[in-house]
Amino acid sequence: MSRARVAAIALLAATASSCSSSFGMPSGASEQGQDIFNLWQVFFWAAIVVAAVVYGLLGWSLLRYRRRRAEPDALGRQFREHIPLEIVYTAIPVVIVIGLFAASISTGDTVGDVTPNPDVVLHAEAFSWGWRFSFPNEGVIVLSDPSGEGVPGPVVKLPVGETVRVELTSNDVIHAFWVPEFLFKRDAIPGRTNIFDVTPTTPGTYHGVCSEYCGLNHAYMTFTVEVVPAQEFRSWLTQQPSESTA
Amino acid sequence: MAHAATVGVHGVTAVAEAPIVAEPRRRRPVSWLTTTDHKKIGIAYCVTAFCFFLIGGTLADLMRAELAEPGRQLLTPQTYNGLFTIHGIVMIFLFVAPFGVGFANYLIPLQIGAPDMAFPRLNALSYWFYLGGGTLVLLAGFAAAGGGAKTGWYIYSPLSNLRYSPGVGPDLLILGLALTALATLLSGLNIVTTVFLLRAPGMTMWRLPIFTWNMVITAVLGLVAFPPALAAFVLLLFDRRLGGFAFDPLGGGDPIIYQHLFWFLGHPEVYILILPFFGVITEIIPVFSRKPLFGYTGFVLATLAIGALSVGVWAHHMFTTGVVDNPFFTAMTLTIAVPTGVKFFNWIGSMWGGRIWLAVPMLFSIGFMLNFLIGGVTGVMLASAPIDFSVSDSYFLVSHFHYTMMGGAVFGIFAGIYFWWPKITGYLLSERLGRVVFVFLFVGFNLTFWPQFVVGLRGMPRRIVDYDTNLGWNTPNLVSTIGAGLLTIGVLTFLVDVWTSHRRRTLAGDDPWGGYSLEWATTSPPPERNFASLPRIRSERPAFDLHHPDLQPVAAAEPKANR
Repeated sequence: MSRARVAAIALLAATASSCSSSFGMPSGASEQGQDIFNLWQVFFWAAIVVAAVVYGLLGWSLLRYRRRRAEPDALGRQFREHIPLEIVYTAIPVVIVIGLFAASISTGDTVGDVTPNPDVVLHAEAFSWGWRFSFPNEGVIVLSDPSGEGVPGPVVKLPVGETVRVELTSNDVIHAFWVPEFLFKRDAIPGRTNIFDVTPTTPGTYHGVCSEYCGLNHAYMTFTVEVVPAQEFRSWLTQQPSESTA
Repeated sequence: MAHAATVGVHGVTAVAEAPIVAEPRRRRPVSWLTTTDHKKIGIAYCVTAFCFFLIGGTLADLMRAELAEPGRQLLTPQTYNGLFTIHGIVMIFLFVAPFGVGFANYLIPLQIGAPDMAFPRLNALSYWFYLGGGTLVLLAGFAAAGGGAKTGWYIYSPLSNLRYSPGVGPDLLILGLALTALATLLSGLNIVTTVFLLRAPGMTMWRLPIFTWNMVITAVLGLVAFPPALAAFVLLLFDRRLGGFAFDPLGGGDPIIYQHLFWFLGHPEVYILILPFFGVITEIIPVFSRKPLFGYTGFVLATLAIGALSVGVWAHHMFTTGVVDNPFFTAMTLTIAVPTGVKFFNWIGSMWGGRIWLAVPMLFSIGFMLNFLIGGVTGVMLASAPIDFSVSDSYFLVSHFHYTMMGGAVFGIFAGIYFWWPKITGYLLSERLGRVVFVFLFVGFNLTFWPQFVVGLRGMPRRIVDYDTNLGWNTPNLVSTIGAGLLTIGVLTFLVDVWTSHRRRTLAGDDPWGGYSLEWATTSPPPERNFASLPRIRSERPAFDLHHPDLQPVAAAEPKANR
């Protein structure tokens, strides 16, 4: 009868069925993305355990302590506090949170690490509305039309297994560079350059979007990242126009 | 007063010796325009806020219709961008927060045994500022020359600069928000003063009903968080209209400063939105479990901790900017989960060993707990900066905050409406229709927002009018739109319930639920100036003590007087 219990069980079942291993998310096509994916696993399982305990206690109270039809005016037991219990149920979340903090810091350090000698430097400039990608060390750019409805964004290739430094900026409003398969995004802010490393591990074609709302054609400000073998990447680079001529 | 005789036996504290003078009879609309009565202002707040809820919900339905399938069917990008901008502002600043203020206006004087708020005229002024600000926001969205505001609800610079957002829409939006912020500040002052100065004899701070406690903390948060935001709004207007460069990098300004100022409002604001409704369900759960609140002192301390911590978490909205101290804000945000999380144990402890009556207010409170827990655990995920890199500004985030704001705050609003409707109007809403409303809202809500977690993890960013068909986003979006339809049916059913209750006029009596706090010791609706006489206040449950004179307050429960 308890609707709450049914709902709780349904939610748990829905969660359990989606949690074979990846919880329905990409498992990371880069070293940094895989680190973040592993952190997700910690948080997901912590969440499931906490939710199971709380829903279990809630469901039990609703089942066990329902008002009886025969005595509608009966009162419950009039206890008000239990200090040891209250200390315990405050301390346990504190411990959980400390563990989650430690895991977050360790992942944050590796993900935020920027090597002084990247294999490739990718310069990404966001504008309203589109992306201007270039490789300053090789002096080449990736040509594309400004984004709009029905206009595909630029395609940029990256070498598998090499560390790519992305230098990200914007020349008008704030945008953000997000490749969901890398589990990573960073804001493109006018007047600043944000730097991060990506080390792709899995060849493939990945969808990229602008994730910071930037006005009219925000929805169409997409791009594609193709992770390819290093050789293919180098020969693709030579086919791109040089920065000086374009 | 039905209980006047009983009250006499147990001792009465007279509050209003002077005879109650009836106001001169005026025509009703005029009396609503000129009123300074806290109950009328409270009702005006709630009714106005509910109208904004209907407007904001309609905007959301339009967006869900567009997103039901990939491709663009109904709306232009301009229209869509305006819809989510106004939807966010309306729901946050014109619906949920003012609804809390409406409850506070109506209930706080009743709960502390006062005849009115401390500053009745200031109270009326707050309401009119709020209504004026809300009207400006709607004009900004739909009637501004040169197109409505399409800046997103946080009005980031430089996007909100005149170069990128021409027209008067954004100006009206900023002015409307500023006016609403002013209203919040004034009513915050009023609430704090009222609770500190106008409590009836015996009503110590440690006997305050939890709703009143939570409103005090909410009001203080508003007083801390809104002034910097007001400053930021003024600077935005300088940048737009007076050639300023506060946030514009072209003139040496810094858009990040705006984000700091805005989120220093924005994050306490989410607690301003949720704390009143923590209060609401904390009033309801013990009443319908026939028990006192479990861990009253711990609950209040936890709420104070939330208030204190909530002004130190704002930059978790800026993890992806790359310019804030992510570990610090991760730590603060994870920490605030503790006092928020332990409230679940207060609620469960209050139900444990009780005699739970699943009336409609209790159903909505249980719905609140079920939904808010999901909002809470996903909030813990988003508190972690590296996880935030993968899902900030995605539908995962959208779903997370709807689980707290809609699954939490809005369910709290409906719980409160069903709980206090008999007190406010004197008539009962229908239990049967109320259950229907609950089922539609609960199922519809989860059907709308659970799929948004799924598409968010699959990489769908927020605020897009259109999406490609091959990204695995189609089915969840369709389910979400169907859920929004069920939600709409639920809200319409509620309106039917209100209408039929109005027609049927089933008398509620003074205390249909067996309530605990003082408002249940006066008539329904309460008279002008609220009380002819007050029961003696010896615990945090004066109305309960009044109706159960045989049950002396348990010794342990007698709170230490703090004054």
